[in-house]
Amino acid sequence: MSFGSREIVRVEGVVKDFRPGFGLRRKRVLHGVTFEVVDNEIFGFVGPNGAGKTTTLKILMGLIRPTEGRASILGCDVEESEFRHQIGFLPENPYFYPFLTAREILDFYARLSGVAGSERAQRVERLLDLVNLGHAMDARLRTFSKGMLQRVGIAQALIHDPKVVFLDEPMSGLDPLGRMEIRDLILSLRAEGKTVFMNTHILSDVESICDRVAIIVKGRIRHQGKMEDFLPDDRRATDVLISSLPPETADQLEERFELEMRGLGERLELRVAEKDVNAVLESVMRVGAEVVSVTPHRNSLEDVFLDAVRAGGDA
Amino acid sequence: MGALRRIHALATNTVREAIRNKLLYTLLGFGFLMIASGVLLSTLSYVEVDEILQDMGMSAIRFFGSGIATFVGIGLIHNEVDRRTIFTILSKPVSRSEFLIGKWAGLTFTVWLQLALMAVAFWIVSALAGAPVTGDHFVAIALIGLELMVLVAIATLFSAFTTPMLAAFFTIGLWMIGHLTRDLQALSQQSDLESVTVMGTWVFQLMPDFEVFNKTLEAVHGLPIDTNEIGLAIVYAAGYTACTLMLGTTIFSRRDFK
Repeated sequence: MSFGSREIVRVEGVVKDFRPGFGLRRKRVLHGVTFEVVDNEIFGFVGPNGAGKTTTLKILMGLIRPTEGRASILGCDVEESEFRHQIGFLPENPYFYPFLTAREILDFYARLSGVAGSERAQRVERLLDLVNLGHAMDARLRTFSKGMLQRVGIAQALIHDPKVVFLDEPMSGLDPLGRMEIRDLILSLRAEGKTVFMNTHILSDVESICDRVAIIVKGRIRHQGKMEDFLPDDRRATDVLISSLPPETADQLEERFELEMRGLGERLELRVAEKDVNAVLESVMRVGAEVVSVTPHRNSLEDVFLDAVRAGGDA
Repeated sequence: MGALRRIHALATNTVREAIRNKLLYTLLGFGFLMIASGVLLSTLSYVEVDEILQDMGMSAIRFFGSGIATFVGIGLIHNEVDRRTIFTILSKPVSRSEFLIGKWAGLTFTVWLQLALMAVAFWIVSALAGAPVTGDHFVAIALIGLELMVLVAIATLFSAFTTPMLAAFFTIGLWMIGHLTRDLQALSQQSDLESVTVMGTWVFQLMPDFEVFNKTLEAVHGLPIDTNEIGLAIVYAAGYTACTLMLGTTIFSRRDFK
């Protein structure tokens, strides 16, 4: 597999075995995972629980070592530590020292990241304002809700202005408003030229903000590519909702066109291939039926995801 | 310089965390109690009253200082992994060796702080009882500080790869062996079996020798403390700590954080 020159993250043939206990047989949780993340994109890494998303991310963070294969970020092996001032990481359900305040914990991470003393205090305050925790800067973290800790987690990931940001379930624990804010924040990171790698299973978020996606099931990458690659033209369709359609016309439509038909009480919903939409509408209107709505149907990421999970289950 | 700054940040945070450990204050409280109880014990004797008082006090400092070093040290790494705080720390430009050294330095500072408090208590109790306190007493206490530094390194080593219970078991075991290695070696030298003699020598060379840091007898009885022995103790403490932390780093670097 060849990788582009703008590649930021490269994972190549990564295999990971875990030994469940002393003397027990090793269990393989990643089977040759390969993907790349390119510069200035939002990359969604999706998969069901236990698929290997967090294990892959931990390998990228140098928290666990791959059994085989290699992973690099910005051209550096992930087991090195010096390049890490260029990356930020939000773990799933982050936990912080409860005896520190939000300001103190960010100052601590800023020190670890090598942020100069002169700009530390200013940056801490700016980050806490950015994640809407300006009002709670001096409160102990033990008093924070799960959503507030998640915001602290995001702030610490960005405290040193990294080039690449890795987020493990960034929307976890947030209310709808919080989710929207974090979505906007992620989009603003891309606008600033950063690259974002996001582990999530909230597919609507992936669909709305990610440029590229990889779907992992049972430790194997099942699909990867740009969002539009998941939805090829020939799978695009239009939903046409009709009322008062004579039964014989419905039978004729079924014979002439490739379509799916579903009764919704008095109404009939037709899922028509994009190329046949005009012809179907003409036929329907000719017999005096009422067209209630015409809605383009995109094969959603959820459809692709569920297909991948089912295929993974059969494998 | 960057590494030193990171180690300093980690050490400072470790001190902040350690001084919130209730076990530390429990052990410190018992330490004060034992130092003070030397007054009662010394009344049981008509001779060497001051020596009994101070021997008791310095033993209490060593015993409870070791307790603090062990029981606070064993959870040092385990808690970070268990609470997953280590994930965010190691995602920063912090190497695993810096992390381990930072934790060790923070706890060593905390233990020295407790040692200083116990030394003050010792001085107050001695002054109240009218027992003379000389510079040698403080030299002996400083050597206990070196012993505790080595013990914290040992606790950090075990904490880097095993559970707190096993780490406590191993650390206490090594502390006890460390105070007996000279006796064990002397016993083995008297054996007719060469293998026992060789094994005794190996044990002496590999296991820590904490008696290097024990100058209580000299301090309490007003005997001179050889400056060469102090120098040897400093070099030994630095060398043993460095080797232990290097071994800890090697093991810790290979560890997966699931």
